[in-house]
Amino acid sequence: MKSTPFSVEDRMLWQNFLVGDVRSFEKLMSDHFRLLFRYGSKFSKDREFVKDSIQDLFMMLWEKRDNLNPEAAVKPYLMASLRRLMHRQLSERTGQGGQASQEVENYFAVEFSVEEQYIADEVTTARSLHIQNLISTLPRRQKEVVYLKFFQELSRDQIAQIMNITPQTVSNLLQIAIRQMKEFTKEGYVLIILWYLLF
Amino acid sequence: MNRYSDFSVEDLVWDDFFRQWIFSPTSETNALWNNWISENPEMLGKMEQARRILLSMRLEEPEITDAEINEVVRRTVGLVNVANTATTQLSHRKTPVLFTTWMRLAACIALIILLGWTTYSVLVRKQQEPQLGQQLKASSYFVEETNSTSRTRQLVLSDGSSISLAPQGRVRYRKPFHGQRREVYLTGEAFFQIAKDPDRPFLVFANGLITKVLGTSFRIKAYEGVDQVTVEVKSGKVAVFTERDPQSKKKVEDNALQGVILKPNQKIIYALNEVKMVKTLVEKPEIVVPKSQISRLDFEDTPASEVFNTLGKTYGIDIIYDAALLKDCPLTAVLEGLTLQDKLNIICKAVESSYEIVDGQVIIHSKGCKN
Repeated sequence: MKSTPFSVEDRMLWQNFLVGDVRSFEKLMSDHFRLLFRYGSKFSKDREFVKDSIQDLFMMLWEKRDNLNPEAAVKPYLMASLRRLMHRQLSERTGQGGQASQEVENYFAVEFSVEEQYIADEVTTARSLHIQNLISTLPRRQKEVVYLKFFQELSRDQIAQIMNITPQTVSNLLQIAIRQMKEFTKEGYVLIILWYLLF
Repeated sequence: MNRYSDFSVEDLVWDDFFRQWIFSPTSETNALWNNWISENPEMLGKMEQARRILLSMRLEEPEITDAEINEVVRRTVGLVNVANTATTQLSHRKTPVLFTTWMRLAACIALIILLGWTTYSVLVRKQQEPQLGQQLKASSYFVEETNSTSRTRQLVLSDGSSISLAPQGRVRYRKPFHGQRREVYLTGEAFFQIAKDPDRPFLVFANGLITKVLGTSFRIKAYEGVDQVTVEVKSGKVAVFTERDPQSKKKVEDNALQGVILKPNQKIIYALNEVKMVKTLVEKPEIVVPKSQISRLDFEDTPASEVFNTLGKTYGIDIIYDAALLKDCPLTAVLEGLTLQDKLNIICKAVESSYEIVDGQVIIHSKGCKN
């Protein structure tokens, strides 16, 4: 869960890659692959497509390396570039059918599970499930902000860079999302208890 | 912490500070929250529930094996190498850029698959060598120096600074330095003497700890596999902060010294697993004023307050004492040729005081000598 806001190792690899060092490029790619794969999988369930997108991303970086910023924050930059690339390809792929692209744009899949070992009673389970349920029903962009903020532990500015929106918009989205996620109505509570008892 | 008093379980679940405590507690946050809960015992139930909710909520991330990752990485690196060779061969053309469209990329992938894996990995090996040659031509590149001898190795950097690298030590830096900062990465132990250049701060990155100076001398110990980094300052001023510091980027880029400031004879111990830094004095503090200016350290009927004052100046450290109390404590002693600790012991014994070292300062505890 821990993340370094400013990774020196990354920056060194990045700068060596920019002057054409293939080994640094290789290490940079393998170091970030899992993170990028997980993030990319939020936009598409097609594993091969996600893997290909990451490969395309790094090919593109290699070609453009002369024009890249040596001081860039590596992790957010990679995530932002992958996001852009996948969105472009997804909308191209479904470009013919107007409705399909709508579907793609709404897609940001996060799934949760409950770790039984921490659950002491039904009430906690119910609350936990309810919160997870609320996250899943958030609109796509709010869900993405929540994912980057709470599960990737990125800063407001980094999220803004990744999603290509202003830091203020990040704060707004987050605020709305949190407000929604705190809505714990009595009915919802009862329903979930019932659900829990029934199954 | 007052604002938490009317928090609901959900408020706690989405609170940054609370989450930070649950997922990566430190001794400081432990103390803060434990203290808070003992003052607000009615919140215990809510806090416990919030904690369980947070810990029980697991994000399901799709899994990918290392083998799968390696396969894609190798494929990509292969493509990159092929692209490089192609670019070199076509360099006389006016548009040497390949892969401008994804179609060309796709064609290339097809080509690689045709070549087959075996031939392919041989190619990769062979082409990495000329790649290294190209690196050397670049105007500024990272070099790595190690000391595999049993004696200290002297390195002189492009800015005139020098590094005394202890055996088994390793440093990496750009040669020559490039950009607005001079940066060195250290593993092991080294003593640095840094040429003054206020416009280009000098930074040492060692196992999570960043040391920033403008022109001073200091020693860093950052051994591999040891969860502790120490920085000891000999002269000048040094700023220290961790890579985890959310402000670290700003602190690196800023020309002013920010972070924990160390002065001569001070030392910082950064414990990696405890995420905290302890400031103290070096084991054998040295006199910092030039020899010609050293005031003689023999005192006759001198108020203890004045003795501490002289001592503090001589060693360039802060000695905190109650001047009003100690001015009535006369002291006669010859303190030449002793360590700082011995000097302090002698003085304290004579005037019935004690001392402790806190945060790199010496604090004198005394009840005065009026009777």
